[in-house]
Amino acid sequence: MLGYYLKLGWLSIRRNPILSGLMVAAIAVGIGACMTIFTVNYVMGSNPIPQKSDQLYYVQVDSWDANGFDENSEPVDQLTYIDAMNLMEAGKAFRQVASHRTGLVLEPTKEDERPFLVDVRSTHTDFFPMFDLPFLYGSGWDDSADKNQDQVVVLSREINERVFGGRDSVGERVTLSGLNFRVVGVIDEWFPVPKFYDLTNGAFNEPEDLFIPMSVSTANELPRNGNTNCWKELDGDGFKAFLAGECVWIQFWAELRNERERDEYLAFMNAYAEQQKELGRFPRPLNNRLRNVTEWLEHREVVEEDAQVMLWLSLMFLAVCLLNTIGLLLAKFMGKSADIGLRRALGATKGSLFVQHLMESAMIGLAGGVLGLGLTWLGLRGIEILFGDFVQNLVTMDWVLVLLAIGLAIVSALLAGLYPTWRACNIAPASQLKTQ
Amino acid sequence: MEIGPIWRALLRNKTGAILIALQIALTLAILLNAIAIIMERKERMARPSGVDEANIFYLSSIGFAEDFNEQVTIQDDLDAIRNTPGVVNAIQSNSVPLMGGGWSMGLQTEAGAEDSTGVAVYFVDEHGVDTYGLEIVAGENFAPTDITWRQRGDTGWPDKLLMTEAMAEALWPDDAMSAVGKTVYINGNEPITVTGLIKQMQAPWNGWNGVERVMLVPQNTNFGSTRYIVRAEPGERDRLMPEIEQLLADRNKDRIVRSLRTMEETRERSYQGDSGMVNMLIFVVSLLTAITALGIVGLASFSVSRRTRQIGTRRALGATKSAIARYFMTENLLISIVGVVLGGALAVGLNMWMVEEFSLSPLPWLMIPAGMLLLIVVGQLAVLGPARRASSVPPAVATRTI
Amino acid sequence: MLSMQNVAKIYRTDTVETHALRAFSMDVSEGEVVAVTGPSGSGKTTFLNIAGLLETFDSGVYELDGKDVSRLSDAQRSGVRNEKIGFIFQSFNLIPDLNVFDNVDVPLRYRGFKGAERKRRIEHVLDTVGLGSRSKHLPSQLSGGQQQRVAIARALAGEPRFLLADEPTGNLDSQMAASVMGLLTEINRNGTTIIMVTHDPSLAGQASRNIYIRDGEVSEDSSAETLPEEAA
Repeated sequence: MLGYYLKLGWLSIRRNPILSGLMVAAIAVGIGACMTIFTVNYVMGSNPIPQKSDQLYYVQVDSWDANGFDENSEPVDQLTYIDAMNLMEAGKAFRQVASHRTGLVLEPTKEDERPFLVDVRSTHTDFFPMFDLPFLYGSGWDDSADKNQDQVVVLSREINERVFGGRDSVGERVTLSGLNFRVVGVIDEWFPVPKFYDLTNGAFNEPEDLFIPMSVSTANELPRNGNTNCWKELDGDGFKAFLAGECVWIQFWAELRNERERDEYLAFMNAYAEQQKELGRFPRPLNNRLRNVTEWLEHREVVEEDAQVMLWLSLMFLAVCLLNTIGLLLAKFMGKSADIGLRRALGATKGSLFVQHLMESAMIGLAGGVLGLGLTWLGLRGIEILFGDFVQNLVTMDWVLVLLAIGLAIVSALLAGLYPTWRACNIAPASQLKTQ
Repeated sequence: MEIGPIWRALLRNKTGAILIALQIALTLAILLNAIAIIMERKERMARPSGVDEANIFYLSSIGFAEDFNEQVTIQDDLDAIRNTPGVVNAIQSNSVPLMGGGWSMGLQTEAGAEDSTGVAVYFVDEHGVDTYGLEIVAGENFAPTDITWRQRGDTGWPDKLLMTEAMAEALWPDDAMSAVGKTVYINGNEPITVTGLIKQMQAPWNGWNGVERVMLVPQNTNFGSTRYIVRAEPGERDRLMPEIEQLLADRNKDRIVRSLRTMEETRERSYQGDSGMVNMLIFVVSLLTAITALGIVGLASFSVSRRTRQIGTRRALGATKSAIARYFMTENLLISIVGVVLGGALAVGLNMWMVEEFSLSPLPWLMIPAGMLLLIVVGQLAVLGPARRASSVPPAVATRTI
Repeated sequence: MLSMQNVAKIYRTDTVETHALRAFSMDVSEGEVVAVTGPSGSGKTTFLNIAGLLETFDSGVYELDGKDVSRLSDAQRSGVRNEKIGFIFQSFNLIPDLNVFDNVDVPLRYRGFKGAERKRRIEHVLDTVGLGSRSKHLPSQLSGGQQQRVAIARALAGEPRFLLADEPTGNLDSQMAASVMGLLTEINRNGTTIIMVTHDPSLAGQASRNIYIRDGEVSEDSSAETLPEEAA
């Protein structure tokens, strides 16, 4: 019977190619608009590290100025050097890493190649296992490298490609801003979107080109290349004074494997804050936060407001397209009254007519969905052109989105088909047979 | 003419009419809110940065060799750039308006006061005013002797500054114009004297609510990475850009010269999100209007073919062709009016919600009747075809037996 | 008052030419009741359409009320239909979305009468056909006979000189048909000329003149001796 309905649906679609085309186009455009915007929202709001997002916690201990504090104040979003080092030292979590962004000049060994700037993450040994970085060659550095300020570096795949032609470069040397580093590892493609581990410096930026121990960058007074905020005048000039000052510029993550570890760690953070208060720091009341990846993304509102506005508008757009489809389907089914009346007279039940016409709606929906996918692709390219670099990493579809688009199209078409189908099924068997 | 019977006939056959009215209503709601967003963005994009955008470009230089002497390099570079024919003036500065990255501090009118007013910082020398193309409305520019060198990690500040009128207004709301000669405090209690007022200049961040609050500080910087701002004579910019880049690269091999960019590009990049949003909304709204128009065409055509016999009867009873066309036009007008009234209410409701949820600016009231009128016109145009087809139904249809 | 001389009408498709009327001539005087009969395809409906100015013809002369109507524009013909001709159709052709009052109102609107005048006329004709109390009903709420009475009222509302009826009783049972016919006779007594196309011999029998069409030409034209009297 299903095959018969499909055949009837196909015949009916073919009989009225313009009306059918209009319906398919309406659904396709609605789906295209919706899915284009939804894709951007979806990628913006996606979970960059689903396997561990509930075990990784962003640590905020509030070292900020008491001025302007009220009970709604959020703690400052990054840590001071002192606090980051103290928390690293304490080592109370299963794993913990402090990190910050820096930019260095990479001087290639080949004479004819010009030096170039690289984005660098300055961090600790646990960064690699904690965030599940995939290694192509070698591995991260170990704990002792952090302690001994070993000049070691982990390269991204692209940089390894560029400097070493993609070969296993473990053990080779690179010069970064005049310092000589030994390659210990090369990571494979790694591109968390959003860049959850450093939302402060661009939630949709690409990961850094290479990774070095933080102890090395501070010892050599390498420049910081990210957001830095100070609330208190520094006690003297120079880098040492800066490190000792109340300036926040470091992101700190802790890996806590369960509820108990989490609670213990928060208790530890609070105890630490109390202890700092005794030393005359932390002028605010106790105001610490421990947020896991999803909570942190939500708190930082990484999904752009514009994208949300567009999502609402595009949903309304889809609604208009569906109203359109309902109208056209109604026109189409009512135009078939004679056919329906005849079928009723020949013994078709309301139920079978209902299924027959819903099948036709579903076929139109499927066609609209497939065409809509094409339009989504075009729409995403359009967004790329309009918004440039910023959205570059937001305009790719995965199979979830493809299935969603098709599913949404079919569901939409079925919903749109419901009322016209109901009307069509209620045409009296004889009414259309006698002459007018 | 015959609104009464048309309206009553519509009420007997609501479904199609309701579908169209709802489409029009939703379209209007989206249209009006899109227009509100577009106008807001256009307004924001139209704000002047205060500098001579057409003729300024900039580039940065990063020294990497161990023995790189930054201070000497900067002085020599600036001399060389300023002596290049076609260059009006050049400075070293940390940022330019709209660039997105910069330095901000807090100023207060009393030492140790609790609250401070945020201000964007540009480090310039005595050529800063000329290079940016700023206008001093009170006081005077820095003298060459005012300029000092700032090292990385320095926390102290020179004792003079220039600020924008907007900054002066923020500090002394009642007495902004007499700001020259007054003392402000930075870092809580370090005094600085305001020696001049600049008419207008924007901070590096276009989204900041204090974007007009700017101060110029008389310092050159030794930060390892430096940025040169060059103002060219009109028409010379594009010729000078590669020339200056080459000049710097040739003068010293121990550095990277990069990020060569014009102010115009900077503006474009700075507002790319806004202009992208504007273009996308225009596209979406046009597409939506087209779809609604197509929907009207579709349903009106259906309605015409369903009523062929009725049209023939009306013709037999004496309706002229134009009376038939008018009937369908009027019918569409009635549906459209219902739609736009509903849509107007929906638009206002949606706008109130979006203002609340997404801090958009409210809908300008005048846009509502304009949008309504637009959709009514679109509806009339869309129904023109079907109405014409209706009017060409021959009256003899009335006597045809089906 | 209606005069056709050698009127011809040819329907053309890509492959076929159909001579619906050929050299069709007839004269109808004021106050007559003419029944036009003939087999299917004989040209009855074409004659009706041309007589009612619903269609144009290819050659010949047609004078209505002493005026040549052969070369009127579409809009002028609409005006003539509206003022001088009342139509009654086999399937009534009431507008289903309009109630009885609004249906009768349709030609009056096109006539451009003022509201009060329209209301007076509508109420008057509805009383004449005995449906004064049904003015708010929709066509679907009425019986076939009642619907045809509404259609007659609509045809009469503009006080036309002619009534053109196309199988006026074709969709009615005999009782209803008789009452509709009675109504038409009464209308004719008030001076309105009636031309009706019909298959129904009993209807034709009540006409003052019978015209038989065959192959697009008048083949018989016979006048009754006396007008049939209604049983009072």
